[in-house]
Amino acid sequence: MNLYILEMKKIRFSTYLWAILGIFASLLALGILFLFIFQIEKGQSGIPEEVELFANWNGLLALTTALAFVCFSVLSAVIAAKVVVSEYCGRNAIVLLSYPVKRKALLETKCLLVCGITTISAFISNIFVVGIMYVISHIFGIVPQMNTRHFVLTALISSILMGISSSAVGIISTAVGWKKRSGIATIVCSLIIVCVLTNFITVSPRNIIWVMLAISTVFFVIAIVIYHILANRIEKMEV
Amino acid sequence: MQTVLDVKSVEKSYGQTQVINHCSFKIQAGEIYGLLGINGAGKTTLMKMILGLQQTNNGSIYVLGQEVSGSPEYLSNVGSVIETPAFYEHLSASELLAMHLCYMKKKANIAEILQLVGLENVNQKPIAQYSLGMKQRLGLARAIIHQPNLLILDEPLNGLDPIAITEMRELMKKLTRDGMSILLSSHIIEEIKHTADRVGILSGGYIKQEFSVAEKMAECGERFEDYVIGLMKGN
Repeated sequence: MNLYILEMKKIRFSTYLWAILGIFASLLALGILFLFIFQIEKGQSGIPEEVELFANWNGLLALTTALAFVCFSVLSAVIAAKVVVSEYCGRNAIVLLSYPVKRKALLETKCLLVCGITTISAFISNIFVVGIMYVISHIFGIVPQMNTRHFVLTALISSILMGISSSAVGIISTAVGWKKRSGIATIVCSLIIVCVLTNFITVSPRNIIWVMLAISTVFFVIAIVIYHILANRIEKMEV
Repeated sequence: MQTVLDVKSVEKSYGQTQVINHCSFKIQAGEIYGLLGINGAGKTTLMKMILGLQQTNNGSIYVLGQEVSGSPEYLSNVGSVIETPAFYEHLSASELLAMHLCYMKKKANIAEILQLVGLENVNQKPIAQYSLGMKQRLGLARAIIHQPNLLILDEPLNGLDPIAITEMRELMKKLTRDGMSILLSSHIIEEIKHTADRVGILSGGYIKQEFSVAEKMAECGERFEDYVIGLMKGN
């Protein structure tokens, strides 16, 4: 626990807290916009195919989850760039490796810190965004309500899986940033990953839990492999 | 007298270039050992190997009897300033030193150390606002606050004004009186002459010659610097 507190002291956590709040506010604004897109479009002849995604809660949940995945994956990479890449590839490496702490234990602390911040903030943000959208929709009677218990469970599970996927993207990007010895490369890598993969989340909104489970499992396994590769490199690292 | 550092026939190469070649020396408790060598002689590499930042190809290094290739626990008895010290610049000096003590699992009076290095009046300012000289002093404060048995200083007087250099020399002598051993590297003979008890000339990757500064100065007189330069050149 001591190592986690020390690592937290090294970063200005308030900066990331403001970023998380900014992401939450932006996602909420987009979510509310999604509700009204359906309202505006349904007035015309029938429901056009392209707005079908906005017409039910499965589609809306998939959309908000996909957007949250993009934002929190990049946030995860930004934190990883600061906490891991800049530390080991920058001038602080000499000090960091001169402490009487096992190198693997220090890396593990850093990676868990990145994953913890990302997963918790992504989960809470997505739950609040979807929850507020649901309440607004209920008040204004915008989108037909779902079986509430089923929807809450779907939202909870997909949000936690999205959080895990986002944090895994941060760790995967760290490998690229490490190789290039660049924080920017870490962030660019995360952008490339999310650009390629985000569309998969909205492929089948009705099965969002299964889609998110598949994505998070694959990402989680890759992230674990990458963590072990990094841990082995750190053991032999010379500065 | 207790041997604090024992470097035994250490070798290090980068690709085909042999930087350190069968290098051996010892440092006893309470002495300042000056490591003199021209730029690129391998002084920093040797210091990094003692800190476990570089791995040896051959040979072994012991700090207080513990081999450095084993557990990193021995590092709690070692303080160092290698190259230009780096800091978390949003922190104040007090915060940085408190954090350092937590990592080192030690306790100390932060205000006392800051006073010792002359930073007591600026300890609440973010480090980003410090001058190069102040950062150098803070680097030294960080290296000594956990009261290590061995202090490794790689050209520590760089960036300091003449008054600070004098103060730093006095501080090093005070630290050795308290039982600390210091390994000090430099390519400036004057610096070593005024500070070190014993000197090792690093040339060709090994300690070419070792001598007591006082004895050699008595022997060579004004020719001391010429003699040392000759050794550094490899004559």
